[in-house]
Amino acid sequence: MLRRGSRVIEARGISKRYGDLVAVADVSFKIGKGEIVGFLGPNGAGKTTTMRILTGFMPPTDGTAIIAGHDIFSEPLAARRCVGYLPEQLPLYLEMTVTAYLTYVAKIKDVARRARAPAVDRALERCGLTEVRSRVIGNLSRGFRQRVGLAQAIVHDPPVLVLDEPTLGLDPLQVRDIRQLIADLTSPQDGNQRTVILSTHILPEVEAICQRVILINEGRKTVDAPLEELTRDGRSLEELFARETTHDVAEEVES
Amino acid sequence: MKHVVTVASRELQGLFVSPVAYGVLSLFAVLAGFFFILGVAWFSDVVVRAQQFQAFDVLADLNLNDRLIGEFYGSMSVVLLFLIPGITMGLFAAEKVQGTHELLLTSPLTIWDIVLGKFLAGALFVLLLVAVVGFYPGLLFFYGDPELGKTLSGLLGLLLVGWIYVAIGAFASSLTRSQVLAFLISFVLLLCLLLLPAISELGVAGGGASVGAILSYLSTNTHFEELVRGLVTTSDLVYFAVMIGTFLVLTKTAVETARWR
Ligand SMILES: Nc1ncnc2c1ncn2[C@@H]1O[C@H](COP(=O)(O)OP(=O)(O)O)[C@@H](O)[C@H]1O
Ligand SMILES: [Mg+2]
Repeated sequence: MLRRGSRVIEARGISKRYGDLVAVADVSFKIGKGEIVGFLGPNGAGKTTTMRILTGFMPPTDGTAIIAGHDIFSEPLAARRCVGYLPEQLPLYLEMTVTAYLTYVAKIKDVARRARAPAVDRALERCGLTEVRSRVIGNLSRGFRQRVGLAQAIVHDPPVLVLDEPTLGLDPLQVRDIRQLIADLTSPQDGNQRTVILSTHILPEVEAICQRVILINEGRKTVDAPLEELTRDGRSLEELFARETTHDVAEEVES
Repeated sequence: MKHVVTVASRELQGLFVSPVAYGVLSLFAVLAGFFFILGVAWFSDVVVRAQQFQAFDVLADLNLNDRLIGEFYGSMSVVLLFLIPGITMGLFAAEKVQGTHELLLTSPLTIWDIVLGKFLAGALFVLLLVAVVGFYPGLLFFYGDPELGKTLSGLLGLLLVGWIYVAIGAFASSLTRSQVLAFLISFVLLLCLLLLPAISELGVAGGGASVGAILSYLSTNTHFEELVRGLVTTSDLVYFAVMIGTFLVLTKTAVETARWR
């Protein structure tokens, strides 16, 4: 499954310190083309920090990452061009219309002038936004805003998607919609296989979408295995989560 | 560098969608009108009195450019000192609060693209403000004969002063996520810059003339006044370029450092 050369995301000994706090400690993993990986861990485990490093938002204190063959230090722009990123806090300009916003994102993601309008149309359509395309983002519901967030992540058709808690703060119906949308976005289309890493602490989400689980706790990787292996013999992800994470935080995790 | 214009045009759109830009523009136009009318009233009063008293030496000394337009530009530079921090405070701080700087910094943009784009947006807005200022002395050409050269070089001075203020405001905004704090930081920096000659006079007593000369060279006002007097020299233009460049480099460094923390 993990053929050499087909790997699209590689974290090599990533560490990140904020002052004295070690947020991520020596985390390494390789993710192959087309894999959909659930990045699990309790709050404060270091998921967001790791994803911010993979997306080039901040450099690691130690180690490096390779995105689609581009090192984040030596080829930062090329690496960032290959990533679509949905941050934990939606990066929206509330005063813009959906179309104007996506066009702007397409521009700064280096989508060629002529390809821009079709790229925006495709993102609108795939994320179910065509009807609200002329609306001002600030007037949209939380669920639609989340869709706009996903649309900006895919507008430049990146080979890698990094989604940080994509269903956070949504109601159950919206959660179902967004999960379906993520499943659609990751199904192979036009022969383009997207590689996805998505963080969550909602376990059913992982079971619904992902093929593989990477679990981190207090900045360290503790589990990295295919989902089917982890849930074989009727074992549940919940037990695993409770066993592998620091206990007092694990108790807070449910749903 | 190719994304500078993209970043700038989004910034300007954001500015003009909000009521703030229009508020600032109208307030500015009203203040400019007020100071201008005040200046005209004072000027004609002096002319009338001088004629009544046949004071030809006073009349000969009266000159639209120095006594009216120059003073007017001076007042407007002080108004800019209050207004520009209000325009620039959001340049970086607002992106941090909205979460959009995470989008900017994970896009294939260089930090210079972002910093220069933000500066360009602010610089164009100030160009608009200076055009508003220029309208008033423009009226005088119908009623009197001010010198065109001096009128324009003074406007250029105002524009360059405004651009320094934008660079300083951008720097302040890059340091924090609070717009209020960004406003205060840039306001304090601008005040220091304005008050440097006063500080230098205090300094002469203790520090020596050379320190005083340096401080007064650093002051924006020294160079602005030269331009208002119609003296466009390379050394003044270099001063403006160096000040703007310095604060843009500082801004770029601040954005970069925040990323590494
Ligand atoms: N900018 C920051 N400055 C200081 N500490 C931070 C910063 N961002 C995150 N942290 C700390 O790093 C740890 C990991 O945070 P994070 O990566 O956000 O975890 P997660 O996304 O798994 O909840 C937490 O203890 C958090 O408080
Ligand atoms: Mg997080």
